[in-house]
Amino acid sequence: MFSRFSTALSFRQASLRVAKQHRKLYSTEVKQVQDKILTDILIVGGGPAGLTLASAIKSSPLLKHYKTTLVDATPISSSLPTFYEKASSDEQFPFTNRVVSITPRNMDFLTADLNLPLMFNRIQPFDGICISDGLSDFNTLTMDRDSMGYMVELLNLQSSAHQKILELNEKFIDPNEKIQIIDNCKVLDIKSPTVEDNAETNLCSDAWPEVELDNGQIFKTRLLIGCDGFNSPVRKFANIDSLGWFYNKWGVVATMKLECPPFSQIRGWQRFLPTGPIAHLPLPNDNATLVWSTTPELSQLLTKVPAPVFAKLVNAAFLLEDGDMQYYYNKLRQVNDLSNENDPIYSEMIEDINYRMEDKSEHITKFYGKNDMYFLEENYPPTVVDIQDKSRARFPMKMFHCNTYVAPRVALVGDAAHATHPLAGQGLNMGLGDSMSLVKALEQASSRGLDLGQTDFVLNEYWKERYGTNMMLLGITDKLHKLYGSSNPIVTTARQFGVSVLNNIGGLKSLMMNIVSGPK
Amino acid sequence: MLRSSVKKLLSKHVCRLESTISSQAPKFNPELLNNTIPTHEQKFNPELLNNLNQVDSTKNIHTAHNGEKKMNSDEQLHFEQLAPTWWDSKGSQRILHLMNLQRLDFINDVIQSHKVSLPSTVSGADLYVPKFNIDVFPNEIQKNINNELNTAIYEELGSTGGMSVLDIGCGGGLLSESMARLPFVKSVEGIDMTPGVIEVADRHKTLDPMLQGKLSYELCSLSEKAAQSQYKKYDIVTMFEMLEHVDSPREILSEAWDRVEDNGGILFVSTINRDLISWFTTIFMAEQVLKVVPKGTHHLSKYINCKEIESWFEESFPFEHKILNTKGTMYVPSQGWFTHSCKDIGNYCMAIQKTVVK
Repeated sequence: MFSRFSTALSFRQASLRVAKQHRKLYSTEVKQVQDKILTDILIVGGGPAGLTLASAIKSSPLLKHYKTTLVDATPISSSLPTFYEKASSDEQFPFTNRVVSITPRNMDFLTADLNLPLMFNRIQPFDGICISDGLSDFNTLTMDRDSMGYMVELLNLQSSAHQKILELNEKFIDPNEKIQIIDNCKVLDIKSPTVEDNAETNLCSDAWPEVELDNGQIFKTRLLIGCDGFNSPVRKFANIDSLGWFYNKWGVVATMKLECPPFSQIRGWQRFLPTGPIAHLPLPNDNATLVWSTTPELSQLLTKVPAPVFAKLVNAAFLLEDGDMQYYYNKLRQVNDLSNENDPIYSEMIEDINYRMEDKSEHITKFYGKNDMYFLEENYPPTVVDIQDKSRARFPMKMFHCNTYVAPRVALVGDAAHATHPLAGQGLNMGLGDSMSLVKALEQASSRGLDLGQTDFVLNEYWKERYGTNMMLLGITDKLHKLYGSSNPIVTTARQFGVSVLNNIGGLKSLMMNIVSGPK
Repeated sequence: MLRSSVKKLLSKHVCRLESTISSQAPKFNPELLNNTIPTHEQKFNPELLNNLNQVDSTKNIHTAHNGEKKMNSDEQLHFEQLAPTWWDSKGSQRILHLMNLQRLDFINDVIQSHKVSLPSTVSGADLYVPKFNIDVFPNEIQKNINNELNTAIYEELGSTGGMSVLDIGCGGGLLSESMARLPFVKSVEGIDMTPGVIEVADRHKTLDPMLQGKLSYELCSLSEKAAQSQYKKYDIVTMFEMLEHVDSPREILSEAWDRVEDNGGILFVSTINRDLISWFTTIFMAEQVLKVVPKGTHHLSKYINCKEIESWFEESFPFEHKILNTKGTMYVPSQGWFTHSCKDIGNYCMAIQKTVVK
């Protein structure tokens, strides 16, 4: 459980080393010719954190004169505008599968501070979240609040930020003020130049890091910002240690079609199954998105089963008992060719699920919803009828946190500095919080005429502000995962007791919501 | 001409030579306290007023320069040892590094509120912008207005091609570098009379390409500088933590005032009030108890009251100046420097604008 990411790290280092050796063979003369390009801020990674950070820097009157460069390994300069154009012109453009929840405070940052041209027809605000326990039918925790959060596709956020950068670039007359986006380009190596005359060490100014790209360019930068995710080369360069572990759970994501759009309140739904939490979150109209965290083996099966069977299993997971689910999982394991829709086991299974669900629905309405004909609709997620083609994917769940986010001339932002289980929907929110705080620290430093790369008085201010908050959110998420991951009767009784305490003592729930989604 | 910090470290070695003076000076002299509230007849520190007429400034500078030369080898050695710690924000200069943050905040505050004029006053009477309360708008609009205001302020500040700055007593260049990085500053010239610190400043400058061509240092006195540059005037002249270390502050002050641009240039001064609290904080606590400042750095008799500077300006340039802002400053251990409104206690900084059109 507690092993560090040694395998991932060593793999990354090995690939870096290979790349270096490759270059050595033919790069000597190139290097002599190649001039080092000076830049003030170099952002590695064009994900949501990197792009919002870049547009925040260029929107700020205090920072826009700093020469900023953004490097990304994927062709974002062509893919993001294409997505933006298609998605904003076509109402029916399918939803992508990477969807995140954004808290009102961060939404405010994106819309009010940065003025990102987000595509609001693809964003679904939700007014509550309903959390249930996979081992008991009652004991649901419902937290309702108007505009508690917004479900936003990552691509929507990324492409809007990219659009904003293009807009800003058009306004700048001086070419040095424009953000230079170098896409489709990997970072080969980052190094600190060897100091020739000890001048820097004597004068307490840290040397500017040199970043070598695979297109042959070498950048020398005042401040290197790592928005480069879990396998961050920037973090490796800065030699920042981190602590964390894999949960040995994988998340299956999918974009789902509902039978009909939710007619009551728009809520997110989460159920803690013994295998891991499953979350059903709203998207506009009859769309919804799914994150199903489960064992590695089951996640593999679930990504391969035919769409109608998967849809049935999602419905079953929110309603039926653990015993039923275990029975269906075993059935899945017996299927020879998972992609074969005509397998008799599937038809048998669908029939069984239909029967069991009908039975359970009747039972629930009889016992809990005596006077309420809409009890089922109000307390259980809308029925899923289909899964969007090719929208299923899986990824490993992990938690890690860097010991520090800053080093001389280096700052880590977002997933490069921390990762969390998505059960509380905090991953990107922490990243956006980081961007907001880093920009604030840089603005203050710029107004005071300090060197943006120095840790004292500049980067440390960012770290000081964010570390505690992130640590708390990571801790809460991790503890919740542990609490709900157990089937021990003592633990389950305790958590059911905890939920009823939360339900019955006024103010506790809103306090929790304040922590998770920001004060109202 | 040195700022306190230079003096702090310098004094460790140099003050051995003048140990007789330093051993007496830090002692609290109750007589001096009587001067804190100046009487009408004797408005200034007697030292401030001395030899108003008989002084020959060039001669005075000359002797000062000779004095420098005499101590040169000693200082050189001292500053070679000092070089690694000058820019070390965690070293012995930490208090100065922290103070620099507060200085820049003060300068920014003054410049933004007095150097920027609303469009209505610039372009004439056609445009009237009523005052309004931003807070009543929705959050999104509030932020947009603030963004636009800030952008407009910085555009306006940089619109005239940027400001020129003269930093008197620049030391290792903490303030000069900070000023040179501000987007609306065109050029910064720093002067100091100690070769060692100028060398450190010059070397540190080369580490940041942003400062190239914007910042220059010179080893000379204020009057030498003036003569060399054909009595050039500057939009901003700064003298931070320096007046309490010179023998004839009045003279320096008036020379500095001459360098301020006629219509709207600003002189920034900071020093320490001559009172019991200053003695307690800067001499008793800082030098003798906490020992964060080397002994003998400060001399109570050389401190200048805020009121004295104010009335000196009132008397010498009655209709030519406007005191824009005066703030008391205070160091809170482990928290940094804060400004407060009690300008007559402890350290203070001051911004004076030249209003006359010549």
